[in-house]
Amino acid sequence: MASSTRASVADRRWTVLRRAARTRLAPFGAAVLLVAVVAALAAPLVAPHDPLRQNLGDALARPGRAHWLGTDNVGRDVLSRVIWGTRVSLVAGFISVAIAALAGGLLGVVAGYVGGRVDGLVMRLMDAVLSFPPLVLALALGAVLGAGLTGVLIALGVVYTPTFARLMRGQVLAVKARDYVDAARALGASGWRIACRHVLPNAATPIVVQASLSVAFAILAEASLSFLGLGIQPPAASWGSMINAGRGYLQQAPWIVFGPGAALFVTVVGLNFVGDAVRDALDPRARS
Amino acid sequence: MARLVLHRLAATIPVLLLVTAGVFALLHLTPGDPIDAMMAESADAAAKASLRTELGLDRPLPVQYLAWMGRLLRGDLGRSIRNGEPVVENVSRRIRPSLQLALLAMTLSLLIAFPVGIVSAVRRNTSFDRAGTTFALFGICMPNFLLALLLIFLFGVTLRWLPISGYVDPAEELVDGLRSLALPAVTLGLALAAVVTRTLRSSMLEALTEDYVRTARAKGLSEWRVMRGHVLRNALIPVVTVLGLQLGTLIGGAVITEYVFALPGVGRLVVDAVFARDYPLVQGVVLLIAVGFIASNLVVDLLYGLIDPRLRR
Repeated sequence: MASSTRASVADRRWTVLRRAARTRLAPFGAAVLLVAVVAALAAPLVAPHDPLRQNLGDALARPGRAHWLGTDNVGRDVLSRVIWGTRVSLVAGFISVAIAALAGGLLGVVAGYVGGRVDGLVMRLMDAVLSFPPLVLALALGAVLGAGLTGVLIALGVVYTPTFARLMRGQVLAVKARDYVDAARALGASGWRIACRHVLPNAATPIVVQASLSVAFAILAEASLSFLGLGIQPPAASWGSMINAGRGYLQQAPWIVFGPGAALFVTVVGLNFVGDAVRDALDPRARS
Repeated sequence: MARLVLHRLAATIPVLLLVTAGVFALLHLTPGDPIDAMMAESADAAAKASLRTELGLDRPLPVQYLAWMGRLLRGDLGRSIRNGEPVVENVSRRIRPSLQLALLAMTLSLLIAFPVGIVSAVRRNTSFDRAGTTFALFGICMPNFLLALLLIFLFGVTLRWLPISGYVDPAEELVDGLRSLALPAVTLGLALAAVVTRTLRSSMLEALTEDYVRTARAKGLSEWRVMRGHVLRNALIPVVTVLGLQLGTLIGGAVITEYVFALPGVGRLVVDAVFARDYPLVQGVVLLIAVGFIASNLVVDLLYGLIDPRLRR
C-alpha cells in the first residue's frame, strides 16, 4: 500500500515535470537557471580572476582574450565579478521569496483557518503593507536595517509577504469547506492536525506557483537596491552595485555596465520562463 | 455609486491607521540608538540630547505615537534634520518634476500599449503579435536603471540628441523641459507599457471569444463597432486593475529614474534622505507617498464602478 502511494506521488511529480518541460520556452529558462546556479556554486573554480584584485595598470581594459568582459576602473576583471555577483542575486532572489512564502503562508493559514477577528487583523495588516509602493518600502526598511545583504533579504521578505498571505488565506478558505476536512473533524482530528495534514498540503500549489514567479522580481528588486547603494557593500560584487559603479564610465568603458546588465536581464528572462512553466504545469486554469 | 464610495472610504480608515503605525515604527526599528544613527559619533552629547527631546524619543512609546499622530492631524509631518525645513515644504518643492515625469510616462505608456495590445490581439499569431509580445517581455524583464543607462548611452553619449541629466521645467521652457524629461519618461513609460500591452492583449483575446461578440457580429454590426462597443469596453476592466497595481511600480520606478537622471523630484528626495539618515524626512515622505498611493488606488476602485455598472450595486 505504502509503496503504491509512493509510486503514485512519483508519477504525479514526473507528470508535472513533463508538463513544465513541454512549455515552449521552458528549456531556455531551465538552461539559464542551471548556468546561474553552477556559476554561483562554483564561482571560485570558474571565475578566471580574483574578483577583488585591483590592477590599476590594466584599468578600463577593453574586452579581449585576457579579460573576456574587460576590466573596471580599478582593473578588476568584470567577468569574474559578474560570476561572483550571481551568488548574491540568486541568494537574494530565493531566500527573500522563501522568507515571504514562509511568513505569508503562515499568516494566511492562521487568518483563513482561525477566521473572525484574527483574520480581520492579519488581512488589514497585509493591506497596510501593500499600501506602500514596494521599492519605497524596501528602501525605508533598508535604511533602518542598514546596508547589506541581510537588510535587503528582510526588506524584500516583508515586501512580498502580503501576496503570499492573501493567496494562502484564499486557498485555506476554499479547502476548509471541503468534505474531507469535515470528515477529519468528525473523526476527532485536532485543529492543528487538520491544518497540517489536510489544509496545508492541498492549499500549497498556488504558493509554489507564486514563489516561482516571484524569484525573478526579487532578483530585480535586489539589483535595484544594490544599484541605489543599499545592497551588499563594495568591494564585494553584486550586479546592481557593479552597474552603479560603471555608470560614471559609460562613455569610456560601457562594458562595466553592460556585462552585469546582460547577466541580470538574461537571468530574469530565464527565471520568468521557468516561472511560467511551473504555473502552466501546476495550474489547470493556466493550462486550459 | 455613493454607497460604493462610502464603503471604500470606510475600508481605508483602518489601513491608514496601520500605515501610520508602521511609519512611526520605522524610526524604532533602527538597530541601536536612532540618534547615534542620525548624528555622527563625534557629535556632542548636548546636541544628541537636544535632538532626542525634539523628536520626543525621551518619552514612552505610546505617548510618542499619540503626540506624532496629533501633529500629523495638524498637518505637521516633522522637520528634516538636514536642512531644518518642514517635510511638507521639502516635498512641495520637489513634487512638480515627479508629477510631470509620471504624467509623461503614463501618457507615453498608454500611447504605446493601446495600439500594440489591440493589434496584437486582433492579429493573433502574426509577426506583429510576436513582436508585440517580445516587446512586452523585454519591458517586464528589463530593470529601470539598466534601460535608463542604455538610453543614456544611445541617445545621450553616442548620438548626443538628448540631455543625460538635469531638469528644466516644461512650464517655463517647453522644448528644453520636454527634452530634459524625454529619456526619464521613456525609461519609466516602457515598463508600464509592457505590462499594459500584455494585459490588454490577453483580456481582448478572452473578450473576442465571448458569445456577446458573436451576437454583435451576427446582428451585422461593423467590426469597428464590435471592437469599440463590446470587445474593448469589456477588456478595459483588467487593464484598469493592472494600472492600479502598477502605480506602486511606477512610484518605485520614479525613485530609480530620478536618481539616474538627477531629477530633483520626490523619489530623489527619498534616496537622499535615506543616505543622510534623515529619519524624520524619510518617515514624512514615505507616509505621504503611501497616502498618495492609497488615494490613487481608491480612485482606481471607483473607476471600476464607472466602467462596469454591475459593480455599482
